Amino acid sequence: MKKLISLLICLLFIIGCASAAKERSLKKLPDAGFSVDIPDGWWKPGYTNKFLITRDGPYIQYVLIQQRPLDKTFRNTQKKIRSRMLPQEAAGIIIDELASDRYLMNFSVIENAPATVDGHSGFKLLFTYKDKKGSEFKTLYYGFISEDSFYNLRYCAAVGPYFEKDIAGFEQIVNSFKLVNDKAISDQ
Amino acid sequence: MKYFIIIIAICALASGCIAPHAVSVNDALKSAEDEKLLWRQVQKEQEALNNSGFLYHEPELENYLQRIAAKLQVHSIEPDFKIQIKVLKDPNLNAFAYPNGVIYIHTGILARMDNEAQLAALLSHEMTHCTHRHSLRVIRSIKGRPAYIAAVQNAMARISVVQEVARLLGATGSMAAVSGFTRELEDEADQVGLDLMVKANYDATEALNLFEHLKQEIEAEKIEEPFFFGTHPHVQQRIENVRNWLTINNIENHGVVKNSAEFEARLQRVVLANARLDLRLGRFEVAQKTVAKYLKSRPDSARAYYLFGEILRQRDHQNDTRTAVSYYERAISLDPSYPEPHKAMGLIHYKEGAKQLAKKYFETCLLLSPNASDKAYIQGYLKNCKLSGEES
Repeated sequence: MKKLISLLICLLFIIGCASAAKERSLKKLPDAGFSVDIPDGWWKPGYTNKFLITRDGPYIQYVLIQQRPLDKTFRNTQKKIRSRMLPQEAAGIIIDELASDRYLMNFSVIENAPATVDGHSGFKLLFTYKDKKGSEFKTLYYGFISEDSFYNLRYCAAVGPYFEKDIAGFEQIVNSFKLVNDKAISDQ
Repeated sequence: MKYFIIIIAICALASGCIAPHAVSVNDALKSAEDEKLLWRQVQKEQEALNNSGFLYHEPELENYLQRIAAKLQVHSIEPDFKIQIKVLKDPNLNAFAYPNGVIYIHTGILARMDNEAQLAALLSHEMTHCTHRHSLRVIRSIKGRPAYIAAVQNAMARISVVQEVARLLGATGSMAAVSGFTRELEDEADQVGLDLMVKANYDATEALNLFEHLKQEIEAEKIEEPFFFGTHPHVQQRIENVRNWLTINNIENHGVVKNSAEFEARLQRVVLANARLDLRLGRFEVAQKTVAKYLKSRPDSARAYYLFGEILRQRDHQNDTRTAVSYYERAISLDPSYPEPHKAMGLIHYKEGAKQLAKKYFETCLLLSPNASDKAYIQGYLKNCKLSGEES
């Protein structure tokens, strides 16, 4: 009887979590300079104002989308992304910034290649790092320069099955990314 | 609790608001239980640091540093541990010692040294922190003083930089690396260190030159580093201590060993490696100075000229691109098989719209380095250059 009660409690808990996740899932992010379609099951934690979404909790995996003004100095280096820069130069600045971060141990770039996001020439970085406790994470990072901002979309998850599990979801998000009132694109 | 006490100690020492009396070196410091616990703690911190990817590995340099330390150690009180020297890839001016005899030196401070006597000054100072058990003495002086601990809790909140570094290095490392020890213990490290230098036949006046040199650099570059050698009061304290010691001991120019050919040979690579780290941080002027220093001893280094070009290209001030081109050309003339300056020249011409010129450099770069990690970018540039050629 005890076992049956435990089983029922577990089942109710799982159903509860699933429906809560469904309730929290979004189709669109709140108003921003961009729009993006969010696949089912992803949700935004309430404690952050950042455009951060996750499926199983941000410590398992997350997608973060950021808009950064050009010519703003980075936190770890004294470098800035400028409008005239090639995507490869912008990627170099991001690598320098990450490699100079004291909290990213064993930072290693696996891939650095050109990429296109919403019609903008940009770059794609794939890198790994460890935190101080030794847990290893992998990040896929897209970046591009628009008229007055640097945009980046990253997917970070624990190395191994967790990373592979949601990579398709992230690519779906990247492919749906659109700048609102994008002068560069609308002029074309 | 032990960890908490150490953190409290760091914050108190760094804030400078309270100076605990350190217990004497003779107070039965050896082999006590608290020292064993401290060692276990620091071993964990070191393991994290050693596996962080921040260690600079160059066996010849490590052996050389170890030999200088051994030369000094002969004249020291005999520790029941081995002194080990490790180098960290970090362009900040710093060095620190763990209580178990492991000393970490940043590439930044090594790159600024002029001779072996200056290196001996740094090592002998840090070794004294280990041999005279300064970490343990600080911790013992704080234990059992709740009023003291309560008083420094307010200071903790103000020292965010210390807390940040503490998270990386761990508590003991932070005490050594960030705040330094108490004034009393730092004075002891200065005096004992200078004594070791003289006994090992090094020119002790070079200690003064090292610290004066660091102070000038900190002021000239407006470096604000929360580190032992990088903060003005600490480096000023070093200078005063050394000056007093030299006067008291009537040492004007001890003039025995100042430099060795091996110092120049062993330090060359770390100088260039550190310039790259400064470039990575965007500290363009410091990186430029370091490359210039390297070129004095290796005037035919294609890599140094390439790095000079990179510093200017990335800084991107007026006329920087033109000057960068002249450095890349020099690098190519010194070593035509080195692919990087070809790529840099290609990028400059590509951005300026000189696509056919860019194409020539990119093609050479790929020929020299067919598996370049940024091959995909270069192939993209070549494709655009080709399209541009067809259009014109």
